[in-house]
Amino acid sequence: MADSSSPPPAAEAASVITPINLVLLSLFVVLVYFRLKPAKPQTLPKAPPPTVFRTFTPPELFPYNGLNGMPVYLAVRGRVFDVTAGKNFYGPGGPYANFAGRDASRGLACGSFDEDMLTEDLDGPLDTLEDLGEEQIEAMRGWEERFSEKYLVVGKLVAVGSDEAKAAAAQR
Amino acid sequence: MVGIVEQLDVQIAQLLSGWNTVSTILLVGILGFVGWVVYDTQDADTHPLLLARQSQASYVRQPGESAIYRSPETPHGYPLRTGLAVKPPGAPLYTAGRDGDLRDIWRRVTGEIPLEKNAASTGALGGKPSATGKIMTVFGKEGITEHSIADITKEITIIGKHLQSHGAKKVAIYLPNSVEFLAALFAAAFYGFSPVLIPYNQPHPALIELLIRTGADSLIAEAGSLPLADVTRGVSGLRQVIWTVEKTSRHMDWNEVPEGIGGKIDVSVWHQLVQDQKNGTLELPQDAAKAPSMVFLWQEGVSKSVEIVEFTQQNICAATGALISSLPGAQRMSPSDLFLPADSFTHSYCLCLTLAALFSHATVIVNSVAGPGIDLTLATRTIAPTIAVVSAETAIKLHSTTTASITSGLKKLVHYLETRVLISGRMPTDTFFTRLNAPTRASVGTTPGKLRLLYVSERAGQNTPPLTSSDLSDLRIYTSARVVYALTAAKVAGAVAQTNIYDYRRGTTPANKHSHFGIPLSCVEVKLKDTLSHRTTDDQCAGEVVVTGASVAGGETCLGLNGTFREDHTLAYI
Repeated sequence: MADSSSPPPAAEAASVITPINLVLLSLFVVLVYFRLKPAKPQTLPKAPPPTVFRTFTPPELFPYNGLNGMPVYLAVRGRVFDVTAGKNFYGPGGPYANFAGRDASRGLACGSFDEDMLTEDLDGPLDTLEDLGEEQIEAMRGWEERFSEKYLVVGKLVAVGSDEAKAAAAQR
Repeated sequence: MVGIVEQLDVQIAQLLSGWNTVSTILLVGILGFVGWVVYDTQDADTHPLLLARQSQASYVRQPGESAIYRSPETPHGYPLRTGLAVKPPGAPLYTAGRDGDLRDIWRRVTGEIPLEKNAASTGALGGKPSATGKIMTVFGKEGITEHSIADITKEITIIGKHLQSHGAKKVAIYLPNSVEFLAALFAAAFYGFSPVLIPYNQPHPALIELLIRTGADSLIAEAGSLPLADVTRGVSGLRQVIWTVEKTSRHMDWNEVPEGIGGKIDVSVWHQLVQDQKNGTLELPQDAAKAPSMVFLWQEGVSKSVEIVEFTQQNICAATGALISSLPGAQRMSPSDLFLPADSFTHSYCLCLTLAALFSHATVIVNSVAGPGIDLTLATRTIAPTIAVVSAETAIKLHSTTTASITSGLKKLVHYLETRVLISGRMPTDTFFTRLNAPTRASVGTTPGKLRLLYVSERAGQNTPPLTSSDLSDLRIYTSARVVYALTAAKVAGAVAQTNIYDYRRGTTPANKHSHFGIPLSCVEVKLKDTLSHRTTDDQCAGEVVVTGASVAGGETCLGLNGTFREDHTLAYI
């Protein structure tokens, strides 16, 4: 008699806590947790830091020719452009690779990529471009305009030993 | 393989054999919860990634400085905004428009220059859209009185002609916010004299000193607000005084000149001048000569040290144009808006916003209860503004009084729930639950819920009380309006930087310091110069704030405070 009366309550209690109920309950708790969890604000990855404008002398500009993972810079009329975006042209192995890390003014004015368009002596004075004709100066201006529309100006090119070079070295 | 599937089948059958009513209840609960989440989820007001990087940094920076930061409206390589872009009537919409000055703003108010075609189609207090602006005043508990634009134009011409004929060059305006203030300002632009805006409620010796320092030769002031004898004795260059008299005192004779002054000074009364020349044909002059500059006084409080700043018309108009375009199209001021400047007009931010409201044909309500420490609830006792400009002190007062009234746990709970909605990027709206258990709202305006935009300004270098990002978030809940926080400075007309209207983020800056100030306006660009204690490196950006642009007096100025640009490219104090 005692045996027949005690199982039912335990069985009913046991029947509520079935595995399926536990699964459903935990699912409910997990859903409510995800809903109430405070959301972290969305962030973008940090942008690359801006390039510092720098006064270059020709020997300092020379390493920026795309080799060893360096960016590709070239100089036109004293302004240094970051042409890494056009690495296929100006980088190593490209058609205009001679211009990388050098003063390209004469080459752009005359429309030639030869070696003799570049100033040989990096420690000497900059190419003054005095012997160029009107047309060539026009062509160089055109190139310079295209460069300033497409590429970023990241520096200034001055001769070794000039006042600006000394001032820039002193600052650093 | 088949054995595993059969085993799995047996396991699942065993699991499901325990199904009973509780399981059904739980399942219905889960489905109901998921359904409610799907129903309740809405898009944020703006994309969160737009808030993750707000202003644009230049790609190159000079050594010793940081990158130059600009508003996305005027990216690098394009010129900054220089004015209002006023288009003559009938010009096609795509023309650039010219910079304009205060005269063009008034011409827009009178309807001579029409609004752009896609303006709103209903007036603020119901009724047809007006072809002109609307200016109303409210005095204490009396109702609102509308002023006819034609009458104000007449006052402008009369007062302007009067002052011009007497050879006034620098006219000091010592008035509280009023229609006469605005009329005198526009008269100065039309008739070629320079207004000096003196903050109201100065002690008399300080006022005399300011009049001497600014070299004013005329004065427009409220009758009885200053002792004429002392002022004329103190300020030797003063030649003209115009009293403005409130309606209740007009029976008195204010034309009296104190003894011993004789013919040196000419005293006239505003309403009498207007009355005498009422019937003449009065038209605003149409000459295109350059309108003169305006002098603002930047002062921490009455009788503290004063910085005198002269803004040209271009400074003011560039700031006004930038403030108009800083709001997204759907939120801009329109003829259906009721604009309340609750800060004094001698603060260039409030004045530029008022000019922006006039330019957009919003209804401007001028209340003489306006200034740094006023109570917004009292100022809006009889009106229900949709846009208001307040100082940081007023905002803090509103915040602290409303927070003090939140005592019960239920109120705190619903405040917390609304804060969660704000953090997820949306403005909290009235739902079923908030009607059952309403969150605490500040009582601003006669009709609750009308205020849609609140401008709060921080004055650089003047010990303005800080508003933290949680304060701003709470204010959004208390006023159920969007709150914009702006950094203003002495030499910059309008503001230096202003937060995005949809930026509801909380906890972005430390809990007891000023919240960030958002992005520079489209008329300025901001950079940080290295100082001994703060420098810019590849990882962080800090230094002294330098502002350049068309709204800066002198083109470029150093604010004299240290700032930083945070990860999301917003300006903040260090």
